[in-house]
This record gives sequence, C-alpha cells and structure tokens, in this order.
Amino acid sequence: MNPLAEQKLIATRRHLLGSMAGGIGAVALADLLAGDTAGATTPVPSLADPLAVRPPQFAPRAKRMIVIHLTGSPPNLDLYDHKPELLRRDGEDCPAETIAGKKFAFTSGTPKLLGTRRQWKRCGESGMELSDAIPHLHRVADKLCLVRSMHTDQFNHAPAELLVYTGSPRAGRPSLGSWVTYGLGSENANLPGFVVLISSGVQPNGGTSSFGSGFLPSVYQGVQCRSNGDPVLFVSNPPGMDRQLRRTSLDALNDLNQLQARELGNPETVTRIAQYELAYRMQASVPDVMDISRESKQTLEAYGATPGGSSLANNCLLARRLVEEGVRFVHLFDWGWDFHGTNPNEDIRDGLTKKAASFDKPAAALIEDLEQRGLLEDTLVLCTGEFGRTPFREGRTSKSKMLGRDHYPDCYSVWMAGGGVKPGLIYGATDELGFKVAENPVHIHDLQATLLHLLGFDHTKLTYRFQGRDFRLTDVHGEVVHDLLT
Amino acid sequence: MVHSFASCRSAATRSRWWYLVGAGVSLCWIAHGQVVKAADGPSFTRDIKGILSNRCIRCHGPDAEDRHGGGEHGLRLDTFAGATEDLGGYAAIVPGDPEASELLVRITDTDADLVMPPPEAGDPLSPHEVDLLRRWITAGAEYEPHWAYVPISRPNLPAVAQKDWARNPIDRFILARLEDEGLQPSPEADRATLARRLALDLTGLPISPEAADAFGADPSPNAVEQLVDRLLTHPGYGEHMARGWLDLARYADSAGYADDPPRTIWAYRDWVIRAFDANMPFDAFTIKQLAGDLLPEASLDDKIATAFHRNTLTNNEGGTIDEEFRTVAVVDRVSTTLSTWMGTTMACAQCHDHKYDPLTQKEFFGIYAIFNNTADADRRDEAPLLTVPWEPVEAKRRPLEKQLAEIIKAVPEMQRATPKQQPQPAAEPPELRPLREHADQLRKRLAAIRPVTVPVMTELQAAKQRVTKLQYRGNWQDLGPVVEETTPAVFPQPALADGQRLDRLALARWLVSPANPLTARVIVNRLWERLFGIGIVSTSEEFGSQGELPSHPALLDWLASELIASGWDLQSIQRLIVTSATYRQSSKPTADLLARDPENRLLACGPRVRLSAEVIRDQALAAAGLLSSKKGGPSVHPPQPDLGLKAAFGQGIDWKTSTGEDRYRRAIYTTWRRSNPYPAMATFDAPNREVCTIRRPRTNTPLQALVTLNDPAFVEAAQGLARRMVREAGPAARQRAGRGLRLVLVRQPRAAELDRLVGLYHDSLAAFRADPPAAKALATDPLGPLPDDLLNHYGGDATHATADLAAWTVVGNVLLNLDETFMCP
Repeated sequence: MNPLAEQKLIATRRHLLGSMAGGIGAVALADLLAGDTAGATTPVPSLADPLAVRPPQFAPRAKRMIVIHLTGSPPNLDLYDHKPELLRRDGEDCPAETIAGKKFAFTSGTPKLLGTRRQWKRCGESGMELSDAIPHLHRVADKLCLVRSMHTDQFNHAPAELLVYTGSPRAGRPSLGSWVTYGLGSENANLPGFVVLISSGVQPNGGTSSFGSGFLPSVYQGVQCRSNGDPVLFVSNPPGMDRQLRRTSLDALNDLNQLQARELGNPETVTRIAQYELAYRMQASVPDVMDISRESKQTLEAYGATPGGSSLANNCLLARRLVEEGVRFVHLFDWGWDFHGTNPNEDIRDGLTKKAASFDKPAAALIEDLEQRGLLEDTLVLCTGEFGRTPFREGRTSKSKMLGRDHYPDCYSVWMAGGGVKPGLIYGATDELGFKVAENPVHIHDLQATLLHLLGFDHTKLTYRFQGRDFRLTDVHGEVVHDLLT
Repeated sequence: MVHSFASCRSAATRSRWWYLVGAGVSLCWIAHGQVVKAADGPSFTRDIKGILSNRCIRCHGPDAEDRHGGGEHGLRLDTFAGATEDLGGYAAIVPGDPEASELLVRITDTDADLVMPPPEAGDPLSPHEVDLLRRWITAGAEYEPHWAYVPISRPNLPAVAQKDWARNPIDRFILARLEDEGLQPSPEADRATLARRLALDLTGLPISPEAADAFGADPSPNAVEQLVDRLLTHPGYGEHMARGWLDLARYADSAGYADDPPRTIWAYRDWVIRAFDANMPFDAFTIKQLAGDLLPEASLDDKIATAFHRNTLTNNEGGTIDEEFRTVAVVDRVSTTLSTWMGTTMACAQCHDHKYDPLTQKEFFGIYAIFNNTADADRRDEAPLLTVPWEPVEAKRRPLEKQLAEIIKAVPEMQRATPKQQPQPAAEPPELRPLREHADQLRKRLAAIRPVTVPVMTELQAAKQRVTKLQYRGNWQDLGPVVEETTPAVFPQPALADGQRLDRLALARWLVSPANPLTARVIVNRLWERLFGIGIVSTSEEFGSQGELPSHPALLDWLASELIASGWDLQSIQRLIVTSATYRQSSKPTADLLARDPENRLLACGPRVRLSAEVIRDQALAAAGLLSSKKGGPSVHPPQPDLGLKAAFGQGIDWKTSTGEDRYRRAIYTTWRRSNPYPAMATFDAPNREVCTIRRPRTNTPLQALVTLNDPAFVEAAQGLARRMVREAGPAARQRAGRGLRLVLVRQPRAAELDRLVGLYHDSLAAFRADPPAAKALATDPLGPLPDDLLNHYGGDATHATADLAAWTVVGNVLLNLDETFMCP
C-alpha cells in the first residue's frame, strides 16, 4: 500500500483508540479494528485486521473461489476439444501456414499432425463433447461452463503460469488469490483467507510466486496447508507444550503486552494481542478443518479420498471443507500434466487415462458435493493449465512409440462451474485442426476480468498503488466476457 | 474546429487517496498534502501538481501515443507551454484569467459529455480542488519543475525559538517545523532504551545488558557519540546494512523460475558486507557494482561487485529461448538501476512513454542499450563466471599443489601432461611410470576441488556488440529503430569526452555525479527510512510525480548536500541522524500527540519500528547465546520443516540442516531460495528477491505469532534463553526472570512484569513436575541434553533440573514473543 495510505489507516485507528476514555480495552477491539469501507469503490483493508470481511464493489455472483490448476497443462485436444479433421489427417505434415513464423518449446522443422486417440461422447442436455479420459465429468457436463477459445502469450511453464495467476509473465505481481482476499477479506478469522494445497509432490512452476502477494502486504499471500506434518507450518505447539500450557503462557503474554499497551498507548500492541488470540484459535481450527477422517465413508468414496494420504482427491475434498468454513480462496496445484510423451506417464493414451483418473473423479465429486450443500451457486470453480498443447507430435518424441504434444499458447480450453457462470455452456471454438481460435477468443486477461467481475469487482478498479502507479491484476488489458455469465 | 478536449477514453483509475478522502476516512488533522508545510496561496508543487497528476496527466501528459484532446500533438497539461498553447482562439489555461481558461470550464461542466475528467475516468473534481486551480490560475498559473529534479542546493538552517534543544542541523529543521505547529519535542529516551535502539538500528543485534549498563553509567557528555562509534565499527554493522542493500540487489542463492536451481553468488553478498564494514564511499560502491569490470586495472573485488546485476533470474526451463530471457534480465537491470539509485520507476517506459514523468520509451531503451552488451545470456552455467579464492578451498589445494610442485622440481618431465589414452608420453622411461601415475592422481584430485565462483558482468568485445533496437510494447521480437546509449533528457547529461561511449562506467559516474538531482536525495531518504520507519519522502520507491512530497523538503536537501559534501560517506550521515536530538527522543507519545500527529511525521517523538525478519531471528538467537559470529562464506541451512516437495522440473526443496555453528548463523547467511523462501522470514515480510524490493511492508499477523511461538528455531532460542537465565542470575525466580527480560529487552524489568513472569514460571513448573516426558521435550528438544554445569545448579537432580528448565523455556518463549521484543524501542 501507499505508505501514506498505510499511515492514514493507522492514524484512523489511533485516533479512535486515543479518543476512548479509559484507554485501550480488548473488549471493543473487534469493533474498533474492523475495516473502513463505507462508500469506497476500492476496498480499503484495515491494517489491524486486514482480512476483515469487506464488501465488493457491486453485488457478486460468487463469494468464494476454488482453482484446480493442472500443472504442466493438460492436452485440451484429448479432453475437451474434439477435432475429427485432425484425426483424419493424423500423421500428415502440419500445413505450412499453421506453423510459419512460430517458435515452439521442443519442436522445430515440420512436425506431424496428431489426432486424438480418445473416444468422445456428447454429454447431458448441453451435448458437451468430452473425451473418455474424464468419464466422471460427463456426469456433471451440464454444470460446466466450457471455454474452448482461451489463448495466452507464453509458452514456457513458469512465465505462463505467472501470467495466469498474476497477470504478468514476470515475477513480482500479486496473485489472483491475494487480490481476491485483499478485496474481500475472509469470513473465518480462525483460518487463513487464502489456502494453497499441492498434490503430486511438486511445487507450482512459479514457485510460491504463483500464490504470492507480490507488492501487496504479505498477509495476502497464499498459505500452504498440508495433509502431512503440520497442516499449516508451525501451527502445532512444540513437543512438551500442551494446549492448556499454551493457554497459560498466552495469558501471561497478553497481560505483559497489556502492560506495554498501557505504558506506551501504541495501537500496534493491541493489534498484536489480537493476532496471538487468532493464532491460538487457528491452532484448533486448522487441524480440525484439515482432518478429512470426519467425512462420511460415502463422501470419501465419492472423491476417492483417503484420510492420511496426500492426493488431488484429498485436496478437492479439503477445498470443499475449507470454503464451507468461510475460506475465501482455495488454490489447488496438481503436478504431472505436461504431456510431451517423453515417458509412458506423459503419453496421451494410457498415460492420460491414468493421470486423468486421479483428477476426474474428485473434480466431478467436488462440483456435486458443493451443489448438494448449496454452495455451488456462490462458489466459483475454475480448472485450467498454463496453456494448451499442440495439434502435432512433439519434436523430440516424434520417432518414439510415445505420443505427446508440445506447449501451445494459441488456443486451449478451461472450464468453470458454479457462482454465476452459465452451466452447460460451450463458449468459443477452435479451427478444424485446433491451431487457432475460430470464434470468441478469450485472453487470460479477459478470463481474469471475468473472474473478478463474478466476485463483485470491476477489474479496472481493484487496484493497489505501488511505485506511483495503480496496479491491477489485468495490467492494462482485459474485457469481461459477459456471454459466460448467467 | 470542435471546441473540445477529446474525451479521455482510457479508464484512468483514481488515486487511492481520493477514495480515502472521499470515504470520509481521513479523520486526522494532517491530511494529505498538509504533511507539507502550508503557506499562503496555492503552490504548484504542494497544491496543484497532485491534482493535475492524479486527475489529468494520464491522458494529457508526457505519453504522446496516448495523449488526448488539444491540437495536433494532443493537449499537455504537465507543461506550461502545453497548457497555455493556443488551441484556436482559446487555451486550456490562460494565466491570470480563470474565466477564459477552458480547463476551469471543463472541470466544472455539468454535461457528462463535456466534463473533465470524463465520468468513466473518475469523479468530478471537488469544489476545493476547483478553487485551488482557480486561485492558482489567477495568480499566474506558474509551473514549477518537479521538486526532485531540481538541483540539490544546501538550504540555510532555519531559525528556532528553543535554542538549547538542537544537537545538530537535523534538529533545527525538525524543531522549526514543530514550533510552527505549536508542538514540543519529547524528552530524550532513557539510556537503556537508547542503547537497545542504537544497537538494533546500527548492527541488527541486541546490546548486552552489561554494555547498556556501562553506557548508562557513562558520565561523558559524548557517551552517545562514543557508543555510536563502537557500533559503527562493530563486526555486525556491515551484515545489518547489507540486508537492505541485498533486497535492492535482489540477491538470492537460486536462479529463479520453475526449477530454480542453486546459484553460487555468495561472494557478492560478502563483498557488500565488506564494503559496508569498510564504509566504502557510496560513489565508489556504486561504480564498482555497475561497472567494476570496466575500471582501469580492475581488482578481483571490483569484478566481484559487478555481480549486483547478475542477480537477475535465469530461466533454465526446457524449451526456453535464451535470448528472450536475456532481454528480460536486461530490462530488469534498467528498472533496478533507476529504482535503486534514482527512486524512479522506469519500468512503465518499457512499453510506452511514461504516463506521469517526462521519460520516454526511447529513453528506456537508451539505458537498455548501455546494459545490452554484457556477455551473459541466460545460460544455464551462468557464464561468465569469475573464480574467487576462498581459504577452505585453498587449504585443500595447497598440500596437493605442493606435492605436485615437488615432483616437477625433482623430475621436470612431469611438467608435461600425460597424453590421452596413454599411460605416459612415448619417450618417457618406463621407470618413471609410478611417479607419473602419482602426479596424474594429484592433478585429478586438484581438478576435483571445485573452486568458488561468482557470476560477473563482462563487456562483449567490439566485434560482438549487440545493436539495441526499440521494442514495441516491450516485446523483444517486435523491434523498432536502433537506439543509441542515452540517459533521459530531463536530467543533466553525463560528461563524456569526445568519442567516449556512454557505457556502464559512464552511467555509474553519472548516477553519483553531484549534478544528479536524485541519487543523493534517494540515498539519504533510505537511510532515514531505515531508522525512522518512514522516509522524509514516504514513497521511498517513487520520487517522480506520482510519489509523495517530502515532509521536510529542506532537511532532505540538506542531508543530500551533506552526503555529497562528505564524499558520499554513509556513516557520517548515519552518525548525524542517530546522534541528533530528534532520534534520541523517547518514543512514548502523549495522548495529545497521538491525536494530533498519529503518523509521527513531524517527529515530536522518537521512532518505534517493527524489526525486520532478519533482526527478529538474530535477536532471538543472540539472547539465547546461540548466535554465531562467523562472517561470510557459503549460505547455510538453519532448521526448516520438511515439506516433501520438489521444485517444478527441479530438485527437492527440503534441505539438510547445517551442523555446528552454521545452524546458528545470522539470518543474512540463510540460503535464499526464490521459489521457496525460508518460511519464518517470508512470514515476517521478507521478499522472495525475484525483483528489486525497495521497501518491505510491515504486517502483523497470526502466522507470525505461530512462527515465534512454535518454529523449532525459536523454541530452541527459548531453551537457550532459559539456560542463560539459570546460569547467569541468582537462584531466586525473580532474579532469573529479570535476567531473561534484560537479555531480550535490555531495560530493567518492572515489578509487575516480574510478578507475571514468576507466576507463569510457577504454573509451568507445576505442570512439568507432573509430566517429566513433557518437561524433557520442552527443555531439550531441539537444543539437546542439559549440560553438567547446568545440572550442578540443581545438585545433580536431573528430574528437577529438567522440569525447571522446561518452565523457564515457557518463560523464554513468552519473552521472545512480547510486542516490545519485536519493536525497535
């Protein structure tokens, strides 16, 4: 934040505290430290309680969001975008005009067209055509809003992933989840407002920057929660200290800090006392929410989740538990979707069948579960990779028995569900070979503008002053895609 | 011609300030702008420029591509000439005649199609703003150059009524303003507070209670100055100063992006520490880092210093185009240089002319051209690398080299290398074969000792130099005309000899030329910010039109001129600040002061600033008696929880904890992995160092509480602190609690505090007596078993000792979590 705005907020708080007769009492803290938002178009978080709930700029369609990021980028042409003509011309050289002047990560020369090896089915009333790699999603096709005309500017994983989540391919900008929690705060102070869950054992391509806070205060960065070890780093008391003793020691700490507050009258001391109480409550609430063994056998089976394990299935179930408890933004990252064909796990036939099974079932279960609990209507779910994959065989593996595709930025598919997006909608299309968007292109910045719109923000007005400029997620671009909205 | 300013199509976002004021949040008496001293009549700099900059300049400013309205070149309101240009019988501004000024007509128009700014670009101007503009135009509409671009002159010291308060010129500026506002400075802080403040501010380490007591008892009138001198020469000084600089340098021990492989560049970090320890003049410090390799007879150290700009990211992901990410690195070097030295955000001009300041895209690439001819090119091996001698490596090499030298001396044939695929040279007598095998073995072992290297800047040879072209919209593949090396025209130009190229060396010299209006201001402001928590210019990262005005402009200029006059002696400026009466004030504000100047911008009381992530860790380890004073060398791995994750396309991110004293090194030596920064530090607002960070935020969060309560590194510190309480104080609980408090807070404990700490100790002790396994865990995990000397305090009764130490650990844990502990007092 602009340091003067920061100072101003402190000032406001000090002014209020200073004007209280009888000094500072913890009782009135909650009231005093609530965010000041009246009438402001851009939310102004309170420094004392930066995650306090703040209203968006206009009535939102979604109050919370879950992102399933398939790290590496799944082959859209084998999951969501059926191209019979591509299959018909399988093995032919790519037409010159499709590759002229383009650079690819691992392919040079003239590669061969690669048709899908999947079977396809028209699903639900919408007739959405989906491949046999994702049979469970067939069931919920009428709840999906499928965009087949996404495009991006980047074809390397890290820059592309940063573009998706920070609006810029370069490091240093705040991520989507941090913008959203900056804008809206969080409904449960006893849990982090922005939670990150990682499966398949590998970090996002952008490291912690994919869920970082950039130049926003670090309180808005994603907090990684885990199934093993401390569910949140350092949430457990040290060995030898039980909860009773922690309470006893915090009581002493609070008393000493109160002495300090009375001595100096510094509002930051009062804030700190509140943070320690929050931390104490988190110590109970975080392990609770992260314990999926409390779920019914039926629910666990629907997701394919295993208590004590670590999987995308577990994380999908945790995502539901977290949003149910008022967490604002849950970001799932699942590694292993980089289908180059350099090993059997990256082959678009059996490799994809296997990998997709770990995602398809829990993703469908998540949508159904959210719906059953009445959460889907105001929970926005997005499933995406960093970019698409080529309609041709990847250069390095073209002579091998494996079938894989290279990185491709010009067109790909993502889907959304819930909070304010049209269910059963198929939006946009690619050309007959899947090389370019044929209708209704949606750029990453357009998608971001749309997501923020659903959450109640004009993307041009959710801004933060840094280095003399009002920065925003969509940089200077982005148009809301109104056709996607209910 | 249509009598109109074309409508502003771009959606200019309104300043956050406007929202705050509009929302009625601004309750305090020092409203925006009024931090700057008020005078009669509207002043362009104080009253007008902000209105124009925030409300008009985005569409009527320096960016010619995106300029709206007006004549052929669009209307410019950022210059007098532009604003008064004849637009066909009328002008936006007619000096002295507000009624004839189209600007006033348009900002007060009630027609949505005509009013400026257009409704989609922002709310109408407030009556107060309109009134200011009207009065300013009436008075002649005088434009003033941007304050930060005006040459630095040395202001006279203001007169003050209170003659005996000021200790040095700084105080005159502060006091004059306080007197204007009818405020009194606060009394001097007590000696213990001052001792802790000075030690933390100058070395980032706590002072011992004994040293603080000696300072407290020192009757010398120069006691403060003497303590300051001791701290400025303390071995911890350079490490503490380096921390801030390494944020600017985006120093890290990994290369960035997805796989984020380790990078060996710590020799640069050590160079920075040595430079601060030696109080290297800031001009030399600048020149060496930007162009040490171009200095005549450049020393090894001069070349190491150039690693400043090798801290840019390298993208090692498969399938990346090196040239793309080389250009990304060069862009970063331009932005970082301008931000670090001139507080100027040049990044916007990568894609288009600056919206608010007179900086063009062509000028961006003019500086880009200066940085565009180094040999590095986003290569995985980080070439070019410089080998750096390092004693532990030399110590391994020496005996082997000695043996080899002896062999060669005895049998000169051994100088010849062994031919490939052959046991020995053809002509060599077979009886020499064992000796040759031995020599080969030595050579092999020597080759296996990996030298310490550091990536450096080296200039491409003339024949290989790159031609710089403007990149449209900042796209490295969409190239425009050739751009020559230049510095922005708005600043005084570098002095070049005939035919001399504007290379990195010339650029560096230009940055620290006394004629450069920004560098000295930016640097003294940063020194001020380190000590007071907020700069004289609060936006220390932005000195352009969109930055804030200085709270004490004359003081800033006086300090800047003093820095230049001192020969860029940073310590002399720091010494001035910390020995001033201003700095020495108590940080306890009166209720009246809290209400009147809640941000303490006027400095009627001393600073109270939350410590940095690094100092919070170092202070805890120092209080525990665990902190290692070892300086320099490879970065280390203090305890960090295992996450069981790998970096994308990379290696596991968990590390093996360093052993011995490397477990307890100062935080500046902790391995800084960009994709996964050390959690305890990241939680306390340390950046990931992917980009230049000028100012860290200071948040206050429950996750921070969890770190200092439960992170094993902090639990270990509490255990160490507990052991010191028992070892270093008398047997009474009050003595031990008091010792613990002093080891952390330095000052004497208050009775109520001792009561509470002793109460906690007794409660904890009772709990641990009933639960010996818990006592053992809390007293010894992870610090280790209680040593004999501690057991002796308990007559060898291990059970008793363990319960007691566990109870003191609980107390230590509380002491390390006090609000006061986190604050520089």
